[in-house]
Amino acid sequence: MKPAPFEYCRPSTVAEAVEALGSSESSRILAGGQSLIPAMNFRLTDVSVIVDIRRVDGLDSVGCDAGGVTVGAAATQTRVLNDDAAAATVPGLRAALRHVGHLQIRNRGTVCGSLAHADPAAELPALAVATGAVVGVAGPDGERRIDAGDFFLGPFWTALEDNELVTEVRFPAPPDGSVTIVDEICRRAGDFAVAGLVAVVEADAGAVRSARLVGFGLGGAPTRLPTAEDALSGWAPDHPSSGLTEAVMADAAGAFDDIHATGWYRREAVAALVVRAARSALAGSEAA
Amino acid sequence: MSLDIDPHIRHSTRHVGRSVPRREDRGPLTGRSRYVADIRIAGMLEVVFVRSIEAHARITAIDTSEAAAVEGVLAVFTAADLADVSTFPDFIPYIGPVEQRPLAGDRVRYVGAPYAAVVAVDRYIAEDAATLVAAGTVYEPLPTVADLDQALAPGAPRLYDHWESNCSFDVAPHKPEVDRAIEEADRTFTETYVSQRQTGLPMETRGVVADISDGTLTVWSSTQSPHMVRTTVALMLGMPEPQVRVIHPTIGGGFGTKTHIYPEDVVVPWIARRLGRPARWIEDRMENLVASVHAREQRHTVEVAYDDDGTVRGVRCASMLDMGSGEIFMPGTAPVFVTNACITGGYDLPNMEARTIGAVTNKTPAGAYRGFGIPEGAFVMERIIDRVARLTGTDRVDLRRRMLIRPGQTPYVMHGGGRLDSGSHTESFERALEITAPALERARARHADDPDVRVGVGYANYVEPTSPSYHLTTGHWGGGDAATVRVDPDGSVRVAAGLSAIGQGAETIAAQLAADMLGVSPDDVTVVLGDTERAPYGLGSWGSRGAMMLTGSVLLASERLLDKARRIAAHMLEAAEADVVLTDGAFHVAGSGRPSVSWAEVGTAAWVRNVDLPDGMEAGLETSGYYHPENLQHQLDDTGRINAAASWANGTHIGVVSVRLSTGEVRIEDYIVVHDCGTVINPALVEGQVHGGVAQGIAGAMYEHFQYDTDTANPRFASFMDYLVPTCAEMPHMEVDHFESPAPEQPLGVKGCGEGGTVGPPAVVAGAVSDALSEWGVDLTECPVTPVSVRAAIRAAEAARGGAGGAP
Repeated sequence: MKPAPFEYCRPSTVAEAVEALGSSESSRILAGGQSLIPAMNFRLTDVSVIVDIRRVDGLDSVGCDAGGVTVGAAATQTRVLNDDAAAATVPGLRAALRHVGHLQIRNRGTVCGSLAHADPAAELPALAVATGAVVGVAGPDGERRIDAGDFFLGPFWTALEDNELVTEVRFPAPPDGSVTIVDEICRRAGDFAVAGLVAVVEADAGAVRSARLVGFGLGGAPTRLPTAEDALSGWAPDHPSSGLTEAVMADAAGAFDDIHATGWYRREAVAALVVRAARSALAGSEAA
Repeated sequence: MSLDIDPHIRHSTRHVGRSVPRREDRGPLTGRSRYVADIRIAGMLEVVFVRSIEAHARITAIDTSEAAAVEGVLAVFTAADLADVSTFPDFIPYIGPVEQRPLAGDRVRYVGAPYAAVVAVDRYIAEDAATLVAAGTVYEPLPTVADLDQALAPGAPRLYDHWESNCSFDVAPHKPEVDRAIEEADRTFTETYVSQRQTGLPMETRGVVADISDGTLTVWSSTQSPHMVRTTVALMLGMPEPQVRVIHPTIGGGFGTKTHIYPEDVVVPWIARRLGRPARWIEDRMENLVASVHAREQRHTVEVAYDDDGTVRGVRCASMLDMGSGEIFMPGTAPVFVTNACITGGYDLPNMEARTIGAVTNKTPAGAYRGFGIPEGAFVMERIIDRVARLTGTDRVDLRRRMLIRPGQTPYVMHGGGRLDSGSHTESFERALEITAPALERARARHADDPDVRVGVGYANYVEPTSPSYHLTTGHWGGGDAATVRVDPDGSVRVAAGLSAIGQGAETIAAQLAADMLGVSPDDVTVVLGDTERAPYGLGSWGSRGAMMLTGSVLLASERLLDKARRIAAHMLEAAEADVVLTDGAFHVAGSGRPSVSWAEVGTAAWVRNVDLPDGMEAGLETSGYYHPENLQHQLDDTGRINAAASWANGTHIGVVSVRLSTGEVRIEDYIVVHDCGTVINPALVEGQVHGGVAQGIAGAMYEHFQYDTDTANPRFASFMDYLVPTCAEMPHMEVDHFESPAPEQPLGVKGCGEGGTVGPPAVVAGAVSDALSEWGVDLTECPVTPVSVRAAIRAAEAARGGAGGAP
């Protein structure tokens, strides 16, 4: 499990990083390396040039204002997890990061790296979609911004061009009074989810007013559950809307089979998570 | 427990029976232990093995020229180069011979089979070159067999052209009394139970370093049995055994996987000899998952005869082992025989007819894993009992009470000849039930308000054969072990034994016993294990034999040493030998503490000041003992029965689980173990063995599963992303209690406890989850129990009742 030979460069500006990235067809950005390095050691990915962005000026910043949280491409998951202001502004960040890997992984892994990697079972891409995050990207033609909803195209597949890198992500603050739930079924603590859910729920008088539901671990990109969002409107524990489970099952119809679970299981599980999220969101909003 | 074996020993402090701190802990905890991978020898080369990517194929060509041309590569070897190495011996007459060569020749039978070795100056270069060898390999794929059904189907593709089928062995005893039971019983049922493929998975993977200097081949191998590696390497390389030295340095776990002798154990020494330079190979985890033995993949078809009152009249069982390709030395065939021998566990059920079948498939060879077939059998038996209880409306606990071996029933001879020498089968169950009652109440209270959760409880009562015969497993070796005890001129004690320290605390217990025998502190005892040059021949550590063999052999050697030391001391004290006693490490005349003679004085007389020895006494103070348990049998008797273990431990496991109906998530709320391993030498070590064993048992009950593609026999796993090893985060709260029923035939009453922990969890978890879901009639027959399998069981039950398949 040793990587094939590769070149290594460590730019200090975004422009240099873009240039280095364009120097070869199989160049790759190294941030936390928690997915890239194992893939190289397994010789599963062919990398000729590693562009290490950890020393790029300013990329490790975490900025927080009333409107949201901006996380630079080199900021580690641990750094964001421990940022109280970020957690207060976008509660989903801490809720999601608690599920990401183990302490050692989060100490190196980056928030933006997780987005760029786009593992279908990862929490952060789903959070980005659920909260309407915007991904900042730099390339040879300058910078552009991509809505998270348009960023994730499939498993390990994003709207990034080969010569582009993620420079930051902006998570907007969720609506006042909303509750963000990140919940998942995983086989072991710290595993990628077999099925997971990010829910941003607004409630009134003990019933759900509106919800934004994004499933993950279902196989492709983070999966919006629009029919379930409609079905959840007006939901209350004593008056469960009919057809909620069926709605989730329909929205998650593309869930895949793999060694850990069947697609059928994933659909049932995410349906159970939606109910669980609604219950705890209502309990949470009452407590607040 | 007492050490009143010798009336001449009278120490005020005893160490046996106390939780003496492990002397093995300091190294791993401070990072100072030296493992095989830490060994560096000047000029050492790195070896990488090239492994088959085909499950079954002929290799028609291997072009190694490109790899050999890479700068830094010294050589690329294939089977053709190893013409001077013999095949691994096929010692067992009744199984199909596999004629395994260290490197596969023109035929590969599983993904991961080594067929070439690249030698380079570093591992990076060796791996680069290995990819070129792989690219230069021409395979002619053959049809594959991925499981038992495919292997035994008529006309199935054969792995071995000279065999008639893929069946390696089929041992089918016939018991007319079981026929009668099935005819006469009120009812019968048939069922098939399945245990899945797993592995022992030590934290330290395997590794071999070899070097020839001054005519001696030294092999450092992460093995559980260094002497057996020496014998095998010398045999296969054609070298005299005294010129081969095998050392295992610190070992990061073995769990059975390192009892086997692997191709790398032979090829790396061969490379060192061929190139005249030290060479090393360290198994990486990706290799480890396909190149170290797998285990536990068994299927059991049973026919159970029972009466309306729940009485189990007899069981007919066919136990089938998926051996993988079978290309492993020693063969991995023995566990399924152990499954059948132990299948009735702690229950009095002589009417058992157990057929044993092994078949080869295109998968990693099966072999040993802690538990060695016992968990698979316990799973079958406990699932049978729960089924009978449910079918007849009998209470599951009462039925077990009726079936358990009662006090006074030992020695008890099991259906296959296993002789339970002593035990606490009923007492352990009752004690475990007492501990469980409050735990069950707690769990029920915790979930009382959640309609999505059900609570259940599962039971297992098992026996654990300890210090087994190795003849059935190897067809060659037996079952005894040697130890040597020496007192040096300064009075310090050295104990050397053929046992291996694999993390279980062997050094600690050897020091405890020697200290008590000789009246010194354990700190004054140096223990030497795991080196064929420094320790006498032994079979190593496996089969829960460490405590029994080590104490048996050290005791024998110590008694002999004491005998001689007392004669020397008597001479120095000018007293009659019979009057001399040893108190707290000093020899003196009984009744008078002074004058006294110390161990240093005796040691000095023996080795240095020979003028102080009695006339005519041979100098030196070093004695050996070879311990072979008296009731251990190595061959079947006329009736086909055998007592292949020196003693039999027993235990009860009970688990309380909660099951979440909507997601199928299972949580073990409490896990209770009552365990009886005879005399306890070190309670902390025993608890550690139980905890670790239960953890591995839970791994099998709920997590670990090697899955293969049924069409291609390709592994569906490559890393810990796919092979789910639980961590401490998945472990439940555990309560452990002990009984001590001494082994009547072992001098200290020691039985052994290495494997029992692994035995219960599959039966317990499946039983508890089935209990929790009893309102659906769920009765699990397979492990692992996963959220997916639980949901599937609920859905199937609801479909069978015509209800909706959704979550409640």
